[in-house]
Amino acid sequence: MTRRSDIDIHLVALLSAVAIFLSSIEYMIPKPIPFMRLGIANLPLILALGMLTWREYFLLAVLKIVGQGIITGSLFSYIILFSSVGTIMSAVAMFATYIILKKQVSRIGISVMGGLFSSLGQLLISRILFFREATYVIAPLFLFSALISSVILGVFSELFIKRSTWYASQGEKRI
Amino acid sequence: MKHFEKIKKEHDPRKIILTKTEVNLPAALTRDGEPANNKKMLHLRITDIGIILLALAVSVASLFLFQSLDGAEEVHVTTDQGQWVYDLSVDTMVDFTGPVGITTMAIEDGKVHVHKSDCRNQLCVLAGEIEHGGEWVACLPNNVFIVIKGSPEAAGEGEVDDTSF
Repeated sequence: MTRRSDIDIHLVALLSAVAIFLSSIEYMIPKPIPFMRLGIANLPLILALGMLTWREYFLLAVLKIVGQGIITGSLFSYIILFSSVGTIMSAVAMFATYIILKKQVSRIGISVMGGLFSSLGQLLISRILFFREATYVIAPLFLFSALISSVILGVFSELFIKRSTWYASQGEKRI
Repeated sequence: MKHFEKIKKEHDPRKIILTKTEVNLPAALTRDGEPANNKKMLHLRITDIGIILLALAVSVASLFLFQSLDGAEEVHVTTDQGQWVYDLSVDTMVDFTGPVGITTMAIEDGKVHVHKSDCRNQLCVLAGEIEHGGEWVACLPNNVFIVIKGSPEAAGEGEVDDTSF
């Protein structure tokens, strides 16, 4: 693969389309608390590690936030603050985990790291802006559910990577 | 016999090797460079377990963040003016001033409720009484947040989860 300085717009477009599609699937699933999500829309972000440069990776994250905002209708509400902080925190955490640990970590570890930082970021926003002290009441529930769903998502991405011929044909492009 | 020879020719091992090299198998090696024969196996590396344990530790820590372990139940009140702590076993009635007006909290027989509030929706009054560690009642318009911290032996472990939901 040749090293290109410009953005691989096709791959970013494909992955963000998948993210937006999964957001709409997620939106249909009923949830007990509005901010609680399964996080299946983060699947492309987990898969994209090793395929995208950091610029492309964060472009994908921003596209996911905007797309998700449009799908769920929360683009111009305060909920966008939660989802953007959650996504950016998890994107940074996952990218850093991948860069630092590379082959010593599987997608399960990366997914759990992303889920942990996503929920920590959202709890931080909640603590500062909205629920203040009450944040501590929802924190355990929030963190435990994030742990469970991120493990499931990590197992899925690991299996996907092992079996997908499309993924294998992409090759180690950059990084 | 002729037929058998034909088959033999077709299954010439050299030929098989040739065809194998011709077919481009992108998945012969996974991206991590591991052999493809353990495709269905999940490789949980030691760092993965470490990360999962870290996340678990944070989750468990968040459970204890809220509960003080000394066992004494205290009523913590947070308002615009500051924070106050009251003993749950001592009956009192206190006024708190917020942006909307006055919120009156009453402690009676080990239970706390908002007796009166100048807010419009009166949700805090309707919320009723709280008595266990981890339970809370709040008047959001008036920025008064009342929570019971610490739990005696009487309140079981499951109590916290119940109130979380």
